[in-house]
Amino acid sequence: MIDYDSQLKIQAYLDGELPEAEAQQVAKRLAQDQDAVLLLSELRNTRQAMVNGQAPMALPETREFFWSKIEREIGRQESPQPAPRRNSMLAAWRRMLVPAGAVAAVGLVCMLSLVSSPGPRMETALADSGAFTYRDYNSGATLVWLSYPAENEFADSEPAGTVQ
Amino acid sequence: MTEKDYSTTDDQTLVRAAQKGDMTAFEELVARHRDKIYARAYSMVRNEEEAIDLSQEAWVKGWQRLAQFQGESGFGTWMTRIVINLCLDHLRKQKRQRSESIDAMDEESGGVERQMPVVTVNPTAGLERGELRQRIDRALGQLSHEHRTVLVLHEFEEMEYKEIARTMGCSIGTVMSRLFYARRKLAALLVDLKKDDLGMT
Repeated sequence: MIDYDSQLKIQAYLDGELPEAEAQQVAKRLAQDQDAVLLLSELRNTRQAMVNGQAPMALPETREFFWSKIEREIGRQESPQPAPRRNSMLAAWRRMLVPAGAVAAVGLVCMLSLVSSPGPRMETALADSGAFTYRDYNSGATLVWLSYPAENEFADSEPAGTVQ
Repeated sequence: MTEKDYSTTDDQTLVRAAQKGDMTAFEELVARHRDKIYARAYSMVRNEEEAIDLSQEAWVKGWQRLAQFQGESGFGTWMTRIVINLCLDHLRKQKRQRSESIDAMDEESGGVERQMPVVTVNPTAGLERGELRQRIDRALGQLSHEHRTVLVLHEFEEMEYKEIARTMGCSIGTVMSRLFYARRKLAALLVDLKKDDLGMT
């Protein structure tokens, strides 16, 4: 029984692919081993059958018809086709811009919500310039200041008889 | 204006003319080598229509890459390399499309060839050339595309192991084992075909 490595070496010997030293080893084996000789003989017969059995083939199309197809294809591939390319460039830009725009929009919303998030602030009631309101939205506290004497101001601005 | 007659011009001159854009010169090159290019495609894909399409594609590529041809090999050999690469791409795509590759199973169950009994009688001895071609053709048709390709590249294109490995994108060891399997399988198939023809089965 010939091991697989030796089988492959016998084949390589037949194909002239072995370095000189290894080729000599195989030749030595072939002089002693009948199984190796039989394997080499089978491989050689098969190789010879392949070489002799290569069928000549003719392209089953006329010269003119076959050439016309080649000529047409060469012409088609050489003619400029910019339109689909530009469209594909636009599509590529759009593909890039859509997610970038979405990210920008999310960022803007976050920034606005931070800016407008309610903190403590002071307000002046326009209807009554003597009232001040302090609101802290975080703690939910509201303080209102009323500045006095409010009666005196009313008294200064309106006749006494109109006060109800 | 009359068209140039290139029928007696050698390949080298035709290639130079074609490189300058002369389509008539290229057409002459196509006419000269088209059968060989088609035959190589057919030997690999084993389908007439696909072989015609692939050889046509090879000629279009040949025209487009003509400037790269420096003349280290013959023009026919250069074109053959182009069609071989296209066929390999085509076969790989086909294989990817199959859900489970029979070829892969073949390859994975490798080792069968190591146990096969040696064919001691030459199964093609005494055959007429026509008969031999038919049997080889039928036997090749029963091999997986990897095994068939390695045989075609080695026996028909006379490529060395190293060159086959580069072309097929595999190691030299893989080339050696594929070639060994393909030859042993082919020998066994040729014996079966001989028995069939003799009505022994």
